[in-house]
Amino acid sequence: MAVQEVKVLSAKYGIKDSRTLAVARAHGGYSQIEKAFSMEPAQIVEMVKASGLRGRGGAGFPTGMKWSFLPKGLDKPTYLCINSDESEPATFKDRQIIENDPHMLIEGIIITCWAINSHDAYIYIRGEFVRQAEMLNTAIDEAYAAGLLGEKACGKDFRVDITVHRGAGAYVCGEETALIESIEGKKGQPRSKPPFPAVVGLFQCPTIINNVQTIASVPYIIEHGAEGYRKFGTEKSAGTFLFGISGHVNKPGVYETELGVSMKGFIEDLAGGVWKNRKLKAVIPGGSSTPIMTPKEVETCMLDYESIVEHGSMLGSGGIVVLDETVCMVKSLKNLLYFYHHESCGQCTPCREGTGWIYKIVSNIEAGKGKMSDLDLLLELADNMEGKTVCVLSGAAAMPTRSYIQKFRHEFEEHIKLGKCPFAG
Amino acid sequence: MSKLITMNVDGQELQVEEGKNLIDALSAVGIHIPHFCYHPALGFDGNCRMCLVEVEGARGPQIACNTPVKEGMKVSLSSESSMNLRRKVLEFELINHPLDCPICDQAGECKLQDYYMEAGLSKSRMEVEKVAKEKNLDFGCGVVHDQERCVLCARCVRFLRKYTKTAELGIVNRCDKAKVTTFPEKPINNRYALNVVDICPVGAMTSRDFRFKQRVWFMSSEKSVCHGCAKGCSIYVDHNQEKYKAERVYRFRPRENAQVNGHFMCDAGRLSYRKENENRLTTAKASERFEAVDIATSQAVALLSAAKGKAVFIVSPSWTTEQMAVAKSLATHYDGYLSGYADGYIVKGDGDDLLLKEDKAANRASLELLGISTDRQKLISNLKTAEVVVVLNNDLSLTASDKREFEALFAGKQVIFVGSHRIALADSAQTVIPCASYTEYAGVVVNVDSILQEVTCAIEKECFARRPEQVMAALSGNAIKAELGAVRQQLSASVPALAQVDWNAIPENGLNLKGGAQ
Amino acid sequence: MSAEVKPTRANKPFVFNAENEAKFQKLLTRYPDTAALNLPGLWLIQQQDGWISYEAMEYLAERINIPVTQVYEVATFYTMYNLQPVGKYHFQVCRTLSCELRGGEEILAHLTKKLGIKPGETSKDGRYTLTKVECLGSCGSGPMFQLNDDYHEWLTVEKVDEILAKLP
Repeated sequence: MAVQEVKVLSAKYGIKDSRTLAVARAHGGYSQIEKAFSMEPAQIVEMVKASGLRGRGGAGFPTGMKWSFLPKGLDKPTYLCINSDESEPATFKDRQIIENDPHMLIEGIIITCWAINSHDAYIYIRGEFVRQAEMLNTAIDEAYAAGLLGEKACGKDFRVDITVHRGAGAYVCGEETALIESIEGKKGQPRSKPPFPAVVGLFQCPTIINNVQTIASVPYIIEHGAEGYRKFGTEKSAGTFLFGISGHVNKPGVYETELGVSMKGFIEDLAGGVWKNRKLKAVIPGGSSTPIMTPKEVETCMLDYESIVEHGSMLGSGGIVVLDETVCMVKSLKNLLYFYHHESCGQCTPCREGTGWIYKIVSNIEAGKGKMSDLDLLLELADNMEGKTVCVLSGAAAMPTRSYIQKFRHEFEEHIKLGKCPFAG
Repeated sequence: MSKLITMNVDGQELQVEEGKNLIDALSAVGIHIPHFCYHPALGFDGNCRMCLVEVEGARGPQIACNTPVKEGMKVSLSSESSMNLRRKVLEFELINHPLDCPICDQAGECKLQDYYMEAGLSKSRMEVEKVAKEKNLDFGCGVVHDQERCVLCARCVRFLRKYTKTAELGIVNRCDKAKVTTFPEKPINNRYALNVVDICPVGAMTSRDFRFKQRVWFMSSEKSVCHGCAKGCSIYVDHNQEKYKAERVYRFRPRENAQVNGHFMCDAGRLSYRKENENRLTTAKASERFEAVDIATSQAVALLSAAKGKAVFIVSPSWTTEQMAVAKSLATHYDGYLSGYADGYIVKGDGDDLLLKEDKAANRASLELLGISTDRQKLISNLKTAEVVVVLNNDLSLTASDKREFEALFAGKQVIFVGSHRIALADSAQTVIPCASYTEYAGVVVNVDSILQEVTCAIEKECFARRPEQVMAALSGNAIKAELGAVRQQLSASVPALAQVDWNAIPENGLNLKGGAQ
Repeated sequence: MSAEVKPTRANKPFVFNAENEAKFQKLLTRYPDTAALNLPGLWLIQQQDGWISYEAMEYLAERINIPVTQVYEVATFYTMYNLQPVGKYHFQVCRTLSCELRGGEEILAHLTKKLGIKPGETSKDGRYTLTKVECLGSCGSGPMFQLNDDYHEWLTVEKVDEILAKLP
């Protein structure tokens, strides 16, 4: 059966002026607030837990569980940060929510604030999304004007303020503690944990950080209950996902499906298959940091957290990149390693120094100046970087490095033997 | 000290203090875990990754600086895999390092160098181009920075943000282009700047004052006390005698002491070592002529003997407690008046909340302990009837008004100056006897917080090696006791606060005369 | 993170204009700590002047009571803050994988030729600045560039020519 789109998060996409409050409301926007406010906050946390919703930002951590880590009875405010940094290459899904249905996100924020007893939410949006930040602010202004936000959010005696905080060009700010540092007015350098943000986060207060798509899923869960959400997806990967697909396909874009559909089916049925009638060479399944997959692996892989892990990679942020047969794997790895080097925050030694080193080695290989021993050195350096640093950026550089060399070693060797790139003219 | 817990390091059971992180807990029992960014005074940062260790049951290697010790914890430090963790981090640390140890001042006390030797790293595997950065940057206050040697541990940045709160340094840029720098035209400007040189674990921060002066392994080091102010920071006196040259002090470094100065010291105190080498009084004078020390001493004895009951002694508030006691004996011997007047040593507004004190006297507390008057009026009235004035290294010319006033009071009297430095009195006194300064003798001083600390002799000077107490004994015609042990015995017997002092076992961190030892 | 730029003097003092002062005052109510206005403050400066001068960094540090070194750190850590004046039209071309796969290099080469400047440079007349940037979150519609605040997606050489022709 062909892979089909489902419309949970993308229900209002394509409707004229779906960004506006009026249209959003006409199509069910903010309809779940009343129900949520009638529930005990703990009930909402339990419901979200039971729904099986997992963080859609990349790590896939169970959302309800994250909320339950907040300490009780502290004499400090709790903050909610919405991670809209969306910087992992190949990821462009949260943008769709902001551009098409920002009110669904705001509704999710209000409900989440109630659930975790937070009054201040910060939406951290990447600096380059100038227009998207404007759209968000317009929607927020509308919500304030309509009494949905402010001192008495939605008429309830409960304050909710939302502030859009713009980043300014730093991939690492997608990491939740770097994001916190960035809001606090510092360089986006991840913090050593513990303490975890749920205990000591933004402004030294308990903080929950969730991805846009995660929070946007909350109203649906309130409306349909945990079971209603669980009817999508698999046992362990519940719900729907906005997958972004880019690279060498006929119809790149964002498609919402339930989790657990066939990866190959997704590429062919929704994205129109590999472009120009070419053969598939490789797929990056979940953003550029996830290990690359071979066509054989793609053949049997499903788009859910577990299946992708079984096939040697990760669902990550759901950003799929398709590489056709003409792609030089060395060059594409070089492209990614440049990115990770450029984006290393410079804090931890293995990442600060290692990302530059491996980038330079791969550049040399691509230029035909490599040595066979470079390949083993690269694999070793990948190991020496990964898991040795405060955050996972070094791992994000190590994983593609390792998988590219393991799965496409012959191409690297060919560059070294020929002393040039076999794909370059 | 809090509760002890039992943990296991490399198979060995150890008792360590609960609540501390692995680096501090193990350091207390003599086990060093390599690290760059962690510093006990600055807290953990977690950036260098050098202290990664294997902890049984943990997910992956853990940074020791942010891992509290727990009962039953098992840590591996010397296993091959644990050594490898450090080797790998060190390799990353070194790839863009200039490896210029032969010309680097840090050589010999460089953590990078030490760990490299320990790890047994050999050939460099770095065959790509190194990242070039700037060298010999003048950061102000005598701090010189080499960006290529820097491991970006941020200790300097954190020190200036957390300790002095002046924040002149920052780390700009990111990835391997990150570097420590000042905001242009805003150099380091505070009174503790040179501590960044000490806390820099590598050779990235050097002191303009010390650069290229000495290889550290040629120097010897004594534990002593800074005499820059009443705080009395614990210090190391680093000294060396080069061939054909007189022995000299090359630098003072702060010595960690939780009950006095923590890890740091001020720049003025640190650079006050120069005074030990400069402007020293080396020649004696008698009847306003240069004479041998013995002749000058004999002359002074004759003058004093002739003026029994009409002599005033003014002792330095920075001399050791023992020397003050000897001064007391000397004054008593000649039936004279002893003063410790030292208002001029107080520089109003010159103290702060960190270490610096307004009082620039190193041992004013002992004047009080020994009952030596510091009263100005009493001194003046005694001076009016005096025939001989013996100034025992007390600098009365520190303020202009005192200088004028005492010059007038000294007029027409015989003035004997015993001193270590060529201050104004060395010229105006008729009789001058040089003596040793505080890096050249031993004794104790008591700081503003009643902490008694030992001053040790670092340098034996030849031509003017006489210690103040020896000079004073000679001035009494060897009638008074000046030998350290005897003086101390006498002090214990006569000063209640010193009754319990075990003079042979004064703790390195000093003795709190108000609250006992620590 | 391209060519290194040190704080540059504008040789005139910086102050927020009335509009930005109002925005700044509103932001002050949104954070419990003034230091949090570091990034938003730098954005306001850049909106006002097009770049962030030495004087502006000093000004912001004072307004939000943080060391100027922290402003400097932030201004250099994040790639979007311009520490030197940029051209009237700032082209920021995505060079990351998804765009490269769809012809990003060709777009960059074409722009380099048409504008007569290399990535990292500003044209002598101050009209254009060309910058190579990392993934802009437009992967499904690449190749693309950001021209000032706007994304231009699904680019082809012809489309680039059209965009250039329409620039006032």
